[in-house]
Amino acid sequence: MLRFVVRRLLQLIPILLGVSILLFAFVRALPGGPAIALLGERATEESVERIETELGLDQPIYVQYGRYVRNLVQGDLGTSTRSRQPVLEELKQKFPATVELAFAAMLFAIILGIPLGFLAAKRYLGFLDNASLFVSLIGISFPVFFLALLLKYVFAIKLGWLPTVGRVDVTRSIEHPTNFYLLDAVLTRDWEGVVDVLKHLVLPAIALGTIPLAIVARITRAAVLDVLNEDYVRTARAKGLDPSVVDRRHVMRNAMLPVVTVIGLQTGLLLTGAVLTETVFAWPGMGSWMLEAIRFRDYAVIQGGILFFALLVSLTNLAVDVSYAYLNPKIRLSR
Amino acid sequence: MSEPLLSVTDLEVRFKSRRGTIHAVNGISFDLRAGETLGIVGESGCGKSVTSLAMLGILPRQAYPADGSVMFGGRDLLRLKDQEMREVRGKDIAMIFQDPMTSLNPILTIGRQLTESLRRHLKMDKETAREEAVSLLDRVGISDAGDRLRSYPHQFSGGMRQRVMIAMAISCRPKILIADEPTTALDVTIQAQILELLKRLVSEEQMALILITHDLGVVAGVCDRTNVMYAGGFVETGATESLFATPRHPYTAGLLDSVPRLDASGKQRLVPIPGTVKTLMEKPTSCAFAPRCMYAVDESRREVPPLREIAPGHHVACFNPVPESDLPQGAITEAR
Amino acid sequence: MSLAQAEAHELELEQPAGLWKDAVQRLKRNPGAIIGALLISMFVFLALFADVITSYGPGEQVGSLGGNGSPPSSEFWFGLDKQGRDYFSRVVYGARLSLLVGVVSVSVGLSIGLVLGSIAGYFGRWVDGLLMRIIDIMLAIPSFLLAIGLVTLLGRGLVQVMIAVGATQVPLFARLLRGGILAQKESDYVLAARSLGAPGPRLLLRHIIPNSLSPVIVQATLSMATAIIEVAALSFVGLGPSQPGLPEWGLMLADSASRLEQGLHLVLFPGIAIVLSTLGFNMVGDGLREALDPKLKS
Ligand SMILES: Nc1ncnc2c1ncn2[C@@H]1O[C@H](COP(=O)(O)OP(=O)(O)O)[C@@H](O)[C@H]1O
Ligand SMILES: [Mg+2]
Repeated sequence: MLRFVVRRLLQLIPILLGVSILLFAFVRALPGGPAIALLGERATEESVERIETELGLDQPIYVQYGRYVRNLVQGDLGTSTRSRQPVLEELKQKFPATVELAFAAMLFAIILGIPLGFLAAKRYLGFLDNASLFVSLIGISFPVFFLALLLKYVFAIKLGWLPTVGRVDVTRSIEHPTNFYLLDAVLTRDWEGVVDVLKHLVLPAIALGTIPLAIVARITRAAVLDVLNEDYVRTARAKGLDPSVVDRRHVMRNAMLPVVTVIGLQTGLLLTGAVLTETVFAWPGMGSWMLEAIRFRDYAVIQGGILFFALLVSLTNLAVDVSYAYLNPKIRLSR
Repeated sequence: MSEPLLSVTDLEVRFKSRRGTIHAVNGISFDLRAGETLGIVGESGCGKSVTSLAMLGILPRQAYPADGSVMFGGRDLLRLKDQEMREVRGKDIAMIFQDPMTSLNPILTIGRQLTESLRRHLKMDKETAREEAVSLLDRVGISDAGDRLRSYPHQFSGGMRQRVMIAMAISCRPKILIADEPTTALDVTIQAQILELLKRLVSEEQMALILITHDLGVVAGVCDRTNVMYAGGFVETGATESLFATPRHPYTAGLLDSVPRLDASGKQRLVPIPGTVKTLMEKPTSCAFAPRCMYAVDESRREVPPLREIAPGHHVACFNPVPESDLPQGAITEAR
Repeated sequence: MSLAQAEAHELELEQPAGLWKDAVQRLKRNPGAIIGALLISMFVFLALFADVITSYGPGEQVGSLGGNGSPPSSEFWFGLDKQGRDYFSRVVYGARLSLLVGVVSVSVGLSIGLVLGSIAGYFGRWVDGLLMRIIDIMLAIPSFLLAIGLVTLLGRGLVQVMIAVGATQVPLFARLLRGGILAQKESDYVLAARSLGAPGPRLLLRHIIPNSLSPVIVQATLSMATAIIEVAALSFVGLGPSQPGLPEWGLMLADSASRLEQGLHLVLFPGIAIVLSTLGFNMVGDGLREALDPKLKS
């Protein structure tokens, strides 16, 4: 098992290297190249020349790439041309915001999606099954930004139950040891802060979580239907086990295998959705940060952001593979 | 004679399907006495598995509730509440399935799967159940039982898995064991071992056995009585010996003719019965075998032949049974 | 005809034809697929006859400029937007744009994916290894970000945006086709045809690819939905096609998002248009998947 994890970790290296080459080439392919990327569009010709020698852009390309990777490994993602801050410092602010949102959304999707899919499968072809199939089909077809706008309109604007923008009320100051606001508020025992942060989190999380919810429900349904037809489920029933035991121990555990995989594959989609959801709710996370960067041609931020997203996706895929292997003895014991 | 242990009357099972209702089992009746071994033989698709699943109340969800009655211990199993029926399943009546490769849960240890009925029905604690599981594995001929409890099904061969299935089935000392084609999925050499094991356990435990198979060679060695099934009904029933010596239903006779004989001298024929079994979309109104039968008479095409006793304990559902003189000499009984 | 050709010919006839005929039959019996097909037909109809259906052009100013537009009325079914344009016309013309974008970008993704997938599947070994690593790298970047990056690189013309969206779909198609080819390569009838001397590339073109196509077709249908949403999403964050006044659903949503307080209709109509069109493709895609994969039917 350990060897398996290590091997999968090693497999990450070429992928991340590939992404870094892609990003390296990306910036060099941009009109103006890295000098503009660093200085911004309105740079004077002298400053461009100066920075090009400074950056060693007159050196061979592999030397340049080598330097780029060395900086990356040392955690130097460059400097934002807009804020003049190291990209890594900004990332430390933005990343927790996005992860908090994505995590809450996924939790929402899993907690509702799995039971829903299970019930639908148990009532195969019944009303609940057809209804949930249809609703999840609509869910999959719903652009996350449209849903976000609708939720915002109904619950924030019309009903006024929940705030429309941000992670926390602007008048409230909470301490930020981690920048995961919910965690921060809990750690500092600021209970009012917890409530406030939760209130801000609810709508974006539901907006972002609804599509994954639909997908999780569909996959769970399909997986449970498959497993219900398995011989070993019949064996379990033939033993006289209670239906709840059969469902939990024999059906759900096996059905979870494909579900875990699919949940993991949602990460990319979830991050995409996060970018869009953040736009609607002015959520100060990676998404709005990167879109801003694109608007201002802040390439160091774009590069760093995409690299980080790629890392995130790769790590979740790794986590999925590991949990799949853990859940499936055939793989667990063979490596 | 004593009261039968199990008494099945007019059992009928139908399935919903997109093309209409499938009549899988059409009113079969039989008795099973304590300690007796009964064979049910028939081609694939004739309703053997469905019969056994119906008796245990674990029909697939596409099935309508079974009709008829299955009397056991003074109660009709088909009318029991779910919860009462669960007390019977695995405890009084246990079942072994055809495919040991798929009948065990791939992600639970053998130990877990073995102990779960012990803990459920005999209320054993974890430790006792574990010890019992070790001795069960021992009894079905799996060595290193203690270590094997921690193994997963994929680490076992097919034969070993079937042994585990058997251990699971007998774990609560059931009064009846239903074995649905327990050897069909196994290699020939393993088949014999598994049958031997079953025979031994059944006699040691004084269990009644219903052995389901499409292979007459299997019942010949094991069963006291044999019921031959065709298209959801019994066409011939009787003591195995007399059925093999004097098969009177053309279908049985055909089956016996098509049994490949291990001891066959080169010239022995293998006569397949022409045609195939059709899925029944309606309840039969004539002899279901008639279209494939060279003995069929007009009546066979008009009416369903009832089971009639033609010799003591030997019943045939046929309007024109095979005359004894037509039978090949020295039938399979030799194989015993 | 050589024996090999005759044999291969026969195989060809019995392989895909029966499957497709069955599939069409099954599709006709699937209410979901029919509803989906109706939805798609509706949008195709709107796209084709947008000029006839609407009384105003998509950019035509018929009301007063500025303000917050006006709500739906008997004259302007979907109301007017803040530039005084007939919203119904804009939504209808949007169908034309979205379908165009969907078809072109899926075609881009499909054709590049097919080529890469066939090369990988057919040549195997290091070619396969290399291509699949490249695809892994592409898959590590969330597709929307990939599209954003490409748009930044290529510019924001309509064609560029379609190429960017299409490029994000390359990995999916390449993988699907490669998987199909690898499976087909080992199948009995290919082995048979090969042992009869059918030449490799021909085998690939005439048998292996056609027989690997059904998942690809399913995916192409589902990808239409993804592409429509993705382009709308690009517009929504201000990175869509940059022609001013383009009746793009995502752009219309973005324009009215900041004025949510003043009324929902400006958000509602383009949003519903996106939902219904993608729903159509998703339903047909699902139906096709079930119809083409008999195993799924219990
Ligand atoms: N799940 C099911 N749905 C519909 N029909 C079924 C199902 N299971 C069995 N049948 C029908 O019941 C008949 C008998 O099946 P079965 O008892 O499995 O045959 P066998 O004698 O080979 O064990 C089959 O011909 C089939 O048509
Ligand atoms: Mg069977």
